[in-house]
Amino acid sequence: MSPSVLICDDSNMARKQVLRSLPEEWKNTVQMATNGAEALTILRDNSIAVLFLDLTMPGIDGIGVLQGIQKLKLDCNVFVISADIQPEMQSKVKVLGAKEFLRKPIKADVLINHLQQHGLL
Amino acid sequence: MSEFHLTEDQQDCLEELINIAMGQASDQLARYLDTFVYLKVPSIESVDAKELMQTLSQQENTMAVVSQGFFGYEGIRGEALLVYQEEDSGRIADLLGYEPDELSQDEQLIDISSILTTTFLNVFARQIDNQMSYNAPKLLPSAKDNLSEHLQQMPFSWDLALKVNINYQVTDYSFNCNMILLIPETAITNIKHVLDRILAEF
Repeated sequence: MSPSVLICDDSNMARKQVLRSLPEEWKNTVQMATNGAEALTILRDNSIAVLFLDLTMPGIDGIGVLQGIQKLKLDCNVFVISADIQPEMQSKVKVLGAKEFLRKPIKADVLINHLQQHGLL
Repeated sequence: MSEFHLTEDQQDCLEELINIAMGQASDQLARYLDTFVYLKVPSIESVDAKELMQTLSQQENTMAVVSQGFFGYEGIRGEALLVYQEEDSGRIADLLGYEPDELSQDEQLIDISSILTTTFLNVFARQIDNQMSYNAPKLLPSAKDNLSEHLQQMPFSWDLALKVNINYQVTDYSFNCNMILLIPETAITNIKHVLDRILAEF
């Protein structure tokens, strides 16, 4: 069974880039959010197993979403996919509960590899 | 307005390429300053030559400009201008933590600009399957009219300026700078083709 997936990024291209990197059988159960606030609403009202999250977004950013997930005590596997690759940011998101930090632009083999490492595939 | 009219998809694609390039430029800056750089969503706008002259000449006495030429393949070339407000350029010495006798403030400004410009353009070029080489960066003399003179004396005729508004916040400090890319029309056409090629892959 494919897990419920949410992709959150303010860029349409970046969302598509993640979508096309996903395993075929996952692609039918994907929801999209274009900012942090939208993502939090979807996360609260649905049981999302895997979240692919951008950091630099207007309004509630990726850090805000991670904090929201902690506050709501949601059980969700978060993979941060960001252009902000500073080491301090990478460790910050892990402290806030993200499984992995992946650099933009995302590549399908890298993404699949990480999903496997975390037993999601 | 300009020749650079982009479709919504092209604009989104360009912004994402710039976002990735900005991220890596910030990372370089953070390593150089040995601190964390807080990155905001960069905003991008295109302005034509006349508009740019007007905007810049209004601010002329209150800023420092570092200019650096770049060249890639297939007619992609241009000039990158980093524009600082005077108060921000003064802060850079504090940020860099240089000893007073190490480097002059001008040299520091050139250093930091070159890191930002070359990292940004290298990453941008890589994403569009290109590769850049650069001229030495130079700080424009702050005397009035120098900037417009400089803009008129470019070794190529530029038709459009792509203005990327960058805001860097560095822990206790923050400084703003604008990166302005002056690009000739052939390069614009080329970039549009590349954007379409990338978009066609989706």
